[in-house]
Amino acid sequence: MKIVVFILLISSLLFSSTAVETEKKVYAIILKAIFPQKKSIYIWTDKPSKEALFAALPRVKVVKNVQDADLLMIFKDHDREFHKKLIFANGYLVFQRDKGNVIGGFYWQKGRPNLVFKKSKLHKNNIKIPKNLEKYVDERE
Amino acid sequence: MKFFNLIYFIFLSALVAFTVYLYFNIEDLEIKVKENIKSVILKNTSYFSDNVLSILPKNCIKENDLHRILQENASLRKELEEKMQMLVTPSFKYVYMLYKDNNGNYRYLLDGSKSDKGFFDSKFNVNTKEWDKVYTTKQTNIVFQDNLDGLWITLLQPYITNGEVQGIVAMDFATSILKDFSRVVAPLKSVFFYVFIAIIFLFSVITYQIILQLRTKKEAITDPLTQAYNRVYLRNFLEKINFNHYDLAMFDLDYFKKVNDNYGHKAGDMVLQSFATIVQNNIRNKDVFVRFGGEEFMLFIYKGKKYTHQSEAVVERIRKAVEESQLFYDGIMIKVTVSIGLVTDIHKYKNIQEAIKQADENLYEAKHKGRNLVVSCQSQKKQEQNNSLRIGEVKFALDEGCVFCHFQPIVDLKNNTIVKYEALVRLRDTEGRVVYPNAFLEVIERTNIYRDLTKNVLEIVFAMIARQKVNISMNLNLSDIIDNAIYTMLLKELQSHKDLSKYLTIELLEYEAVVDEILIKRLHDIKSYGVTIALDDFGTGYSNFSIFENFPIDIIKIDGSLIKEIDSSKTSLVVVQSIMSLADGLGMEVIAEFVHNEAVLMKLKELKIKFGQGFHLGKPQEKIG
Repeated sequence: MKIVVFILLISSLLFSSTAVETEKKVYAIILKAIFPQKKSIYIWTDKPSKEALFAALPRVKVVKNVQDADLLMIFKDHDREFHKKLIFANGYLVFQRDKGNVIGGFYWQKGRPNLVFKKSKLHKNNIKIPKNLEKYVDERE
Repeated sequence: MKFFNLIYFIFLSALVAFTVYLYFNIEDLEIKVKENIKSVILKNTSYFSDNVLSILPKNCIKENDLHRILQENASLRKELEEKMQMLVTPSFKYVYMLYKDNNGNYRYLLDGSKSDKGFFDSKFNVNTKEWDKVYTTKQTNIVFQDNLDGLWITLLQPYITNGEVQGIVAMDFATSILKDFSRVVAPLKSVFFYVFIAIIFLFSVITYQIILQLRTKKEAITDPLTQAYNRVYLRNFLEKINFNHYDLAMFDLDYFKKVNDNYGHKAGDMVLQSFATIVQNNIRNKDVFVRFGGEEFMLFIYKGKKYTHQSEAVVERIRKAVEESQLFYDGIMIKVTVSIGLVTDIHKYKNIQEAIKQADENLYEAKHKGRNLVVSCQSQKKQEQNNSLRIGEVKFALDEGCVFCHFQPIVDLKNNTIVKYEALVRLRDTEGRVVYPNAFLEVIERTNIYRDLTKNVLEIVFAMIARQKVNISMNLNLSDIIDNAIYTMLLKELQSHKDLSKYLTIELLEYEAVVDEILIKRLHDIKSYGVTIALDDFGTGYSNFSIFENFPIDIIKIDGSLIKEIDSSKTSLVVVQSIMSLADGLGMEVIAEFVHNEAVLMKLKELKIKFGQGFHLGKPQEKIG
């Protein structure tokens, strides 16, 4: 019992870092799916607090200028134009409203994590998703 | 002390039991409360879910008709979602409805949630397995989702029309009641848990201490070399032993000194260890094996209430096992054997010391008979033991003046005249019966009573000499002369009867002992009073001829065992002739004992033996003259 209490305590202490690690893993998988061959992936995000997280991912370089980015990680639903830049939505509303070239989204809804790739956008941008992620591809838009 | 230990043990056990009982009772209570809360929540959830189903359109006929209807009618969707939203509370956080599309993805039909609201037809990642189950079974499914942040129960209820599942109403119920309850109960559980741990720790410490105590106790009562019990244990054991339940055996390794001398003490230790192991392998747990000292061991063979003598078989088995054992030290094989003295029916002895003494005597006999033997106490010895007087009885006889002497004449065979008498001590017991020395001398050996008895006999002898003016001999062991107290008493008596000492003859017994300077001097001192010194029972056993060189001996009394067969045994005749020749050469007189018939008497006369003593010549009598 004492051991269980100890494990729970340690688990709770480590929980935050574990959540970040999980988030990193998910983004790593997503980026690998989108850019399987690219040596360097330039990412721009509208959420500065996430820059360190993305910067820690393999092959990723965070850029300050949207124009320099290969992929935009968008968290907020705003009216800014991103032209033809690939966008990955990190919020349900951003994903749904799709003001640009949103190829997929990773967000929490009703306490559940959701990963969705838009089939038409993947096709349009000539992105082929690996088989293990195909179940997350939505054919409808 | 033991009583208090038992009380502590019972108290601690009760405390542990009580703590464990409370701990598990609280846990049980927690489970039951949780179950009850779950049950109430599920009932309410199910009720709300039914309400949702009741507002849905009833005109769905085919599969996914509801999707079609809602797709075509946005205002109906809005209206239904508004109704569903009325059910949303802080506990019923999310109320929504999904359907399964042709690709197996779940999509929103309706969402009454106030936050995290999903758009119509948008994909929603759910636990497909649980949701598919509802589609397949068409039954309500309850999913406990403790792993989801802030969620607890999701109730999935199918909306079925015309046998087709049109969608699934989902209600996510989140509550902190159970967590709060667990939080409240947790300290209580912790208290009992830590009390339990503390008691277990205490128990462990006590157990450890008991083990240490037992180990220390064991070390204190165990011989470190052989692991047999030591004399400390023996002392305690003898205080508790029920003599009826044990037989006793004494063991002594034969020629053990030679092992030590030839191979060294380490080899000796190895032999002792091996011997102890052999014994331990051949006895039971109830038998008690003790190292008595050196190479001497003692075994108490438990026989319980059965008065059978299996002990003889046990010790014989051990003897044989030792004999057959092959012990190796530094590659050299050492053969050992053991001599064993066994005593059965210990309870028949006056005390355990007597039984041990008997076992020791039996062991001595086994050694004497050639070693590697078992000698057990036979019934005859037991009978003797039964016939013997107790020390107290001898003392009583001394105090009450019941010690007296019989006087047996010693006759000049040439003219058939009495030249001397031998004083033979007797006791009269409480019933007036005459008790002979063999029944009491051994009992009082090496006690003050023995000295008192000797003094008493000496007084009787001198009294008789004073009255009758006749020569009288009395028996003394050589050890009596060595004994300072007896010797002092003897000198004192001689001093006070100076004029009568010349009538006294001291017949020495057990003179095979080592010749000692002090002893020689003392005998000369005694002789200086005019006392005649005789060697009694000469001719048997291991006669030490050096005594003739050192002791002032006047007379040799030839042992009765030689005389009684002198008329028929050539050996006896030759031995007697040799003794005569020896005595003649040394200028000593010879007395033949045990003259029990005319034929023996004639033979003695023929051999020209001067003096004789025996029943044929005169029986021992209380009076002289």
